Amino acid sequence: MLLRGLTWLVVFQLLGTVLNVLFLHMLPGPIIGLVLLLVYLIWQGEVAESISVASSSLLRYLPLLLVPAAVGVMVYAKAIAADFWAVGGSLVLSVLLSMLFAGWLMQKLIDRQQRKRGEADV
Amino acid sequence: MFDVAGAWQALIHHPLFGVGVTLGAYQLALAAYEKTRWFFLQPVLVSMLAVIGVLVACGLSYEEYKVSAQALTIFLGPATVALAVPLFLNLKRIRQLFWPTLLTLLVGGVVATGMGVLLAWWFGADHMMLMSMAPKSVTSPIAMLVADQIGGIAALAAVFVLITGVIGAILGPELLRRIGVRHPAAQGLAMGMTAHAVGTSRALQEGEECGAFAALAMSLMGVGTAVALPLVVALFS
Repeated sequence: MLLRGLTWLVVFQLLGTVLNVLFLHMLPGPIIGLVLLLVYLIWQGEVAESISVASSSLLRYLPLLLVPAAVGVMVYAKAIAADFWAVGGSLVLSVLLSMLFAGWLMQKLIDRQQRKRGEADV
Repeated sequence: MFDVAGAWQALIHHPLFGVGVTLGAYQLALAAYEKTRWFFLQPVLVSMLAVIGVLVACGLSYEEYKVSAQALTIFLGPATVALAVPLFLNLKRIRQLFWPTLLTLLVGGVVATGMGVLLAWWFGADHMMLMSMAPKSVTSPIAMLVADQIGGIAALAAVFVLITGVIGAILGPELLRRIGVRHPAAQGLAMGMTAHAVGTSRALQEGEECGAFAALAMSLMGVGTAVALPLVVALFS
């Protein structure tokens, strides 16, 4: 089951890579693969068990898969140290402010939509 | 006699050494997180520090580690594709919240990208740094590609992406709850669109709906940035 699902995921990623080279240079292969798999799932109307098993197994280990890329920090330690406060400060500030802004906006919009639905029902 | 030095060299230069160190560090980080439940002990961050420690102690370069950890990174692609599954499973809930989702992604995406660049420019970072920072809120394969296109450095972009993701994942859920963002969809969307894959994996821990919206936000933000950012930079320069 796991292997069959994994095969599908790899096939979709490879398809994405082919499309990336042929037409869509802006988008990386895995993202095109994601969109293709989504379209396929919508078309099928359900998730085959093999794909479901493989994807939940992979996603459980997503943090582990990101570790090697994270270790790349060590190479740029000097460049980052030179601009430390400018880079660090703006990264921290902007991620926190924009995350809180996005969360707040979404919460407001959801509340408003629910109020409208509530009024429409009355 | 025993060739201790030779055995040591064979060990640290083995093609699986990177995989072994990463797996070991991750297990330790997970155990530490599960034991203490301290939110700042994010497994990615702790494993990263542990791996860097081992590499420095053994005198290994990042290039060598990167090659020997490839068995793990190779699965990042299929894992990205796999994000389509939670996305699909929650499509119904996403459809119900279609306009809030779309509006938040558009406005919030511009704010997230614009604010980072503006702040860094204001604090005095140079052009190359700015262009490596612009795609900080999207997943690293896209960010690296976009940074390269707009005059930044791909590897630096990967680092900024990671710092952004780790900070967002560590502080995000707590801060969001504090300012009264209660809906799992709003929490997930905010985390996925600003803290990409790290935020999404954190959101998946919070719950399925939260994770689904994070995955949706991450992929839409990624696709949107990949298309829009190079166009905007071309217009302004």
